[in-house]
Amino acid sequence: MFKTEEMEINLGPQHPSTHGVLRVKLHLDGETVTRCVPMIGYLHRGVEKICEDKTFFQGQVWTDRTDYVAAISNNLGWVEGVEKLFGITTPRRAHYIRTMLTELNRITSHLLWLGTHALDIGAMTVFLYAFREREEVLSIFEAFCGARLTTTAFRIGGLREDIPPGFEKQVRAFQARFLDCIEEYETLLTENRIWKKRTIGVAPLNAEDAIALGVTGPVLRAAGSSYDIRKAFPYAAYAEMDFDVPTQTAGDTYARYLVRLAEMRQSHRIVNQCLDGLPEGPVMAKLPKVLKSEVNEVYHAIEAPKGELGYYFIGEKGSQSPYRMHIRAPSFINLQALPKMTEGRLLADVIAAIGTLDVVLGEVDR
Amino acid sequence: MASSLLRTLIPFDIYGGMKLTGKYFGKVLLQSNRGTKRTHIVVEYPETPVTLMPRYRGRLQMIKDEQGEIKCVCCLACEKICPTQVITIEKGKKEGRKTPYPTRYDFEMERCIFCEFCVESCGFDSIILNHQFELAAYNREDFSHGTEGVFQNMYDLTPVGHYSVASEE
Repeated sequence: MFKTEEMEINLGPQHPSTHGVLRVKLHLDGETVTRCVPMIGYLHRGVEKICEDKTFFQGQVWTDRTDYVAAISNNLGWVEGVEKLFGITTPRRAHYIRTMLTELNRITSHLLWLGTHALDIGAMTVFLYAFREREEVLSIFEAFCGARLTTTAFRIGGLREDIPPGFEKQVRAFQARFLDCIEEYETLLTENRIWKKRTIGVAPLNAEDAIALGVTGPVLRAAGSSYDIRKAFPYAAYAEMDFDVPTQTAGDTYARYLVRLAEMRQSHRIVNQCLDGLPEGPVMAKLPKVLKSEVNEVYHAIEAPKGELGYYFIGEKGSQSPYRMHIRAPSFINLQALPKMTEGRLLADVIAAIGTLDVVLGEVDR
Repeated sequence: MASSLLRTLIPFDIYGGMKLTGKYFGKVLLQSNRGTKRTHIVVEYPETPVTLMPRYRGRLQMIKDEQGEIKCVCCLACEKICPTQVITIEKGKKEGRKTPYPTRYDFEMERCIFCEFCVESCGFDSIILNHQFELAAYNREDFSHGTEGVFQNMYDLTPVGHYSVASEE
């Protein structure tokens, strides 16, 4: 009487919940997803190829535009990778300021995630409060380097300038009220019955699958693994910082939400430690006029807000630009977990799964 | 048992969120944003000026010294460092000036990414990124700021945009 067959639909590429130009091809049996294929490449600009033509100094501006939500983390990966390639030692004060800004950047990235993810699922209010605090941190970035989003904050060998006068006061004013702000988000979401119904048990990913797929960052830590590059392979000034790596065991959307909120609290702790222990001294190392690389290769990984962000350089003898540059983008690799998380589940959960993975399409496609 | 039943029947969790929302709603409703003291986040931009930080990176501008002479000596450092190659300089000579003089200094603003590498590389402090952020124009030609031009040129601010710069403290 009724003919039932599988239906193939597209989610995206221009859908408000895909956070950019992500197209997801879905095979549906009624409301159940039987097959899910993320189709990427709509934002491909060829950053890796462009950087082969640019010098090591110039290439940094492209890292702002891969993960544009966490530009400072990307800048840090680039400059530390290049410093590793040339064996440049950066002053300790520069390390502290870098760590502080990267942690503030983690807060902005998580706030944007929290706002948009809650908006996708149906909680409008959190979005407004999250963006209120994000605005404040963005003006801290503006005070430090002059731009809010495409920061180009650091330089190879240190920083361009020391922190401006009044900067510490501005950061401390934000730090003083941020913990109360997290309390406000928690009031709106953590105990909320609609939020709990919508997230607990939705889009689960266990630690075994996560490790097999190469998933890193909060998604992995919500599944029970405590892998964090800040602890495992300390870079910048993280070896001197005292912080915890928050983990959960459930591995569902609610667990990832709890992990990210706890990470914001830890970032807040690290920023305070950086401000208190800020050493005196120069912020820029002595550099040769022209950087020349010998033939060697370097992989430098940092813990970006989304996961392990790696920069891989191959230097060319006598050249000022990398012979080959590769970015191990956390969003790109985390997105591969989407079929695992959604197949056999409901269509509405795909939206929650995309949101909870926290992908930035600029970084997926590069 | 009884308490969990009570919690299911009476939505305390929803009440907490509504209380917070109501608190902020009332606060904003009773206060005005047009005074001198900043009370909430939204800036009503064309009416109220935007506060920019001293280091804000806006449009490229050339600096003249006290005698009204252009400081640029055509060392081409900015042209070389620019990641998107938006600066083109033509060297020339001017009567009564020892150093070279830029007869042409083209800055194609539509491709500029405002990274401030040019200002950093300049050894003569002859260019800055000013605080101008309203950079839209009707014609593509208007984005190419040369040394000539009545409405837009490399020396003067365009008379659009409404902003104030925060003090150093």
